[in-house]
Amino acid sequence: MRDSNSLIATLRTIEDEALQATRAATGTEELERLRIRYIGRREGRISVILRGLREVDVAQRPAVGAEANRVKRVLREALEEREADLDGGNAAEAIVEDVTLPGRARWRGGIHPVNQVVDEIWQIFRGMGFVRARGPEADTEWYNFVALNTPLDHPAADEQDTLYLKDSVLLRSHTSPVQVRVMEKYPPPIRILAPGMVYRRDTYDATHTPAFAQIEGLVVDEGVTFVDFKATLAEFQRRFWGPETKVRFRPSFFPFTEPSAEVDVKRLLTMKDGTRVESEWIEVMGAGMVDPNVLESVGHDAERYTGFAFGMGPGRIAMLKYGVPDLRLFFENDVRFLAQFARGGAS
Amino acid sequence: MNVSFAWLESLVPHLDMTVEEVEERLALRGAPVEGAQCLGSGLEGVVVARVESVRPHPNADRLSLCEVNTGAQTLQVVCGAPVIQEGGHYPFAGVGVTLPGNLRLRRAKIRGEYSNGMLCSEKELALGRDQAGIMLLTGEPALGQPLSEALALDDVRLDVEVTSNRPDLLSHVGVAREIAPGGVRGIELPPVPGAPELDLQVRTGELEVAHAEVGIRIDEPGLCYRFLGVILRGVKVGPSPTWLAQRLRAVGQQPINNVVDATNYVMLEMGNPMHAYDLDELGGSRLIIRKARAGERMQTLDGVEYEFGDEMLMVCDASAPHDIAGVMGGIHSAVTPGTKDVLLECALFEPKQIRRTRRALGISTDASYRFERGVDPEGHLPAVRRALEVILTTAGGRVDGPVLEVLPRPWKPYSLKLRLARVKHVLGVEIASEEIERLLAPLGFGVMADGEAVAVVTVPGYRSYDVTREIDLIEEIARTYGYDRFPDELGPSRLTTVPDDPIFGLEDRLRRSLAGAGLLEATNPAFAPESEGDVEISNPVSSEDSHLRTALLSGLLRCVEYNFARGARDVRLFEIGTVFRRAAPGDPPHEDLHVALVVTGREGPGHWSEGGRPVDFWTLKGLVEDTVADSGWEGSVATSVMNEGGPGPGGGSSEGPRTEGGEDRVAPDGRLLVSSCAIVLSLSSGRAIGAAGQVRPDRIDAPAWAGPVWAMELRLPRRPRLDRGRAFRPLPQFPWVDRDLALLVPAHLSAARVRAFIQRCGGALLDSVTIFDMYRGAGVGEGMRSLAFRLRLQAWDRTLTDKEVDRVVDKVVRRLREDLGVEQRL
Repeated sequence: MRDSNSLIATLRTIEDEALQATRAATGTEELERLRIRYIGRREGRISVILRGLREVDVAQRPAVGAEANRVKRVLREALEEREADLDGGNAAEAIVEDVTLPGRARWRGGIHPVNQVVDEIWQIFRGMGFVRARGPEADTEWYNFVALNTPLDHPAADEQDTLYLKDSVLLRSHTSPVQVRVMEKYPPPIRILAPGMVYRRDTYDATHTPAFAQIEGLVVDEGVTFVDFKATLAEFQRRFWGPETKVRFRPSFFPFTEPSAEVDVKRLLTMKDGTRVESEWIEVMGAGMVDPNVLESVGHDAERYTGFAFGMGPGRIAMLKYGVPDLRLFFENDVRFLAQFARGGAS
Repeated sequence: MNVSFAWLESLVPHLDMTVEEVEERLALRGAPVEGAQCLGSGLEGVVVARVESVRPHPNADRLSLCEVNTGAQTLQVVCGAPVIQEGGHYPFAGVGVTLPGNLRLRRAKIRGEYSNGMLCSEKELALGRDQAGIMLLTGEPALGQPLSEALALDDVRLDVEVTSNRPDLLSHVGVAREIAPGGVRGIELPPVPGAPELDLQVRTGELEVAHAEVGIRIDEPGLCYRFLGVILRGVKVGPSPTWLAQRLRAVGQQPINNVVDATNYVMLEMGNPMHAYDLDELGGSRLIIRKARAGERMQTLDGVEYEFGDEMLMVCDASAPHDIAGVMGGIHSAVTPGTKDVLLECALFEPKQIRRTRRALGISTDASYRFERGVDPEGHLPAVRRALEVILTTAGGRVDGPVLEVLPRPWKPYSLKLRLARVKHVLGVEIASEEIERLLAPLGFGVMADGEAVAVVTVPGYRSYDVTREIDLIEEIARTYGYDRFPDELGPSRLTTVPDDPIFGLEDRLRRSLAGAGLLEATNPAFAPESEGDVEISNPVSSEDSHLRTALLSGLLRCVEYNFARGARDVRLFEIGTVFRRAAPGDPPHEDLHVALVVTGREGPGHWSEGGRPVDFWTLKGLVEDTVADSGWEGSVATSVMNEGGPGPGGGSSEGPRTEGGEDRVAPDGRLLVSSCAIVLSLSSGRAIGAAGQVRPDRIDAPAWAGPVWAMELRLPRRPRLDRGRAFRPLPQFPWVDRDLALLVPAHLSAARVRAFIQRCGGALLDSVTIFDMYRGAGVGEGMRSLAFRLRLQAWDRTLTDKEVDRVVDKVVRRLREDLGVEQRL
């Protein structure tokens, strides 16, 4: 039988000795050595003492155990405190030899550049009272064509070479089916933005991929005119590309809008030497007033309601905005490419 | 469509516009010019020369020596072409001239004879494909004249983009209507040089008409609305004159012979496709427009033999097809140099029928392109007249009898009502009826006021395909008024009734969180090979992309391989995307949104003061926990060990999810992940929603230096709960007390379970339980581990006494021993 009092005394001696050594320690490695020496689980001096506990009278064991726990806690706290000091937690004592050495970095993650563009576009339309809507990527001919005033036997139906699944089920060739789905479900006023993936039977080249992102927009209400259409979309272009941007609307054709337009922008670019030059006209959007047939196909009164719709390709816009020469780069997922668009830019 | 600027100029006598102005005008009228090409460019220095004499090269069998007269001088030229006509005119490039393809000519000695330049083929001049022979120039070109001038190549070819609603723009006259001053009134067909006066008679029958022994009959009046035929006798088929050949070349067409070229010329000028048959090859001297008999065959002009189905429309003689109606003629009755008598066709077919036929055969021609979009129903007689002028002038012959016209469905002009109030309602701008007339009349519309509020607008035939409703007229008004003239004035708008779809909010949150955790977002197309897909694409782009993905991870692993192959060791990617599962037959597939991530390499970019640590299971687990917390699933998501090597999540531990059928399969599974540390994520219902773990080394093509790849995939809820019902809890006013417990926990008992147990029996004073250490080895029995728990105790109304704390800790220790058999490690 060992005497509990002598064990407790030993513990206190160890405590004093360890505290002194801890205060004197000058590095984290030294602290780690002290930790192992005193409170290490296997060979730590306190652990060794506790292992001798079975030689102590049962009634006295708790007292020794409690004291050992107390000493361990005190030492652990002292070690942590000293470590914090040495780590520079105490600014007055920290010594940095060369502040130009790099700091402790974390990986920089990032949202895909195309999705960053989608988000930027969304933030602008959000400020103009739009909400986001979505629809399935695999859809039917009805939603993708027929309800959008595009008869299946009209040449317009195969201008977008469509990928079919089975029978009349297809992969949507544009986000426009979301227009129909939203109008079926909600009465005007409608102001939606519908980003999503679309699919076409294109082979990969610098400006085509068989799957790509598109953003659809739709506004339907009483009294929406061509002037509202033009002003809203011109305002969007200026907010996106910059206030000096020129916006041009050209007649075009989409089966589900009439009148239809292509929207071009002429950007004001700042060159490396600081001079500012105008770009060519760049096509950035297809749009138009909602065709009355589309409103009728979902049961809205086309005499009462008018509206406009638009669509754009955030991939193409990201190419223009960042100067990316090849659409395929967006799908290669090369980390060197993606990191250029990460938080804080290129790493 | 290719448009020749010179051709436009010839149609519009008062066209006072530059090429650039025409481009701008067409763009603002909805027919943008995609490209403009100067035809003569690259031919500077190439001139017309006459070959005065040809004699064999003394030292080479295949070469000849030509005396070439350029007007200024006569030069010796070595020529390799098999046939050179003495007295013939040829393009000549002298020494110092640079030909297309950057070939600069030098004085050269060929087999001992000097050559002072080169006689050129079409190919060498980039004018055509013919490279066998030197390009013989027809007509009487002047010696020394620049070739581009002699060939009328001082022209610009405009590539005009014509939308599918505007077939009227598929001709030079149609384009001219948009740019001519005064529109239709500013257009005049230029006279064909030397054309005779034509006095054409027309003989019309509803379904059948004949002259002499020649007859035309329509058996399908619903598919062929109009068919004009003219008989020409005694034509002399030969090369077209320069002016005609050049018109065709200018728009990229190869001249064939004077008769065929005349039909193409008229189509390109006026828009009505035509066809010429060798009358002698038509059995029974008749044409019958009927459906094909199944299995009937014909060889077309391009030499391809087709077999027809009985849904296809044909122009036939008494026994066999000679023309795929509106698409392409047959080779048997084609007009060739031996042709004497010709039957000229100009017809109107039902557009959808032409589209069906040509799609079924997989061909598209200039004719079918126009017919399926819509050909001017009123343009036939002028087109026939124009074609006859050209043929009679260039090929001679005479018209035999009247124009034979079969007309089952005569064109009925129509008019539309246009409410001026509706114009304002749609366009937002008031436009008076006089203004409307001023805008629409130049395009051939007739505008008549009908009272104050309504105008009646008559639609010309060539616009009858796209202008059938009031809104179509309103579009024409906006288009001709000019989109740029509408004010840019942002008006007020009302709030929408539509709610913002919460899935977008979920995506945003996950993107930010994962990007914040140092991962880069990848995007992959939703295609997958058959082995990874459940839903098949019937017309895939390639066999690797023949199906739709059921999961994202395979795509992300391919991205990891792509980056490994480029030397990247640290790859951290995530993707949010749609996956597809087969649904009931006839229904669109089920779609789900998934999030997946992969990490490999180092934990962080490293610091000069320490080495980088590789990512491990716990890195992954931390990402999994964060992602699950952000995923918007209602209720808690449990983690359990994946069933070893099994086909999918399920089984495993007693707390694991129930085995699910294919319906709820979520990749990755045991085939993809190393089973010893793969985990399954499941809802409280037991439904598996995801899995995570180390990717099996045999499932990824990794270089030797690459570290293990860790991966996760998680299905996202269709109706995410973004707001977790957060509410404020007052902050404690009194200090807490920490107590550490080292517990000997058998391997079968999970840390989570022990922790939850402590939490449960700790009572109200136990604020939190954290696991801060684990130890295995000496002093800890086999199959056991020592887990260190820190219990934080806290009362809200007082400072806790040691006694109170001891009571709680003692109770926890006792219950652990009694209920779980877990002992304290002292």
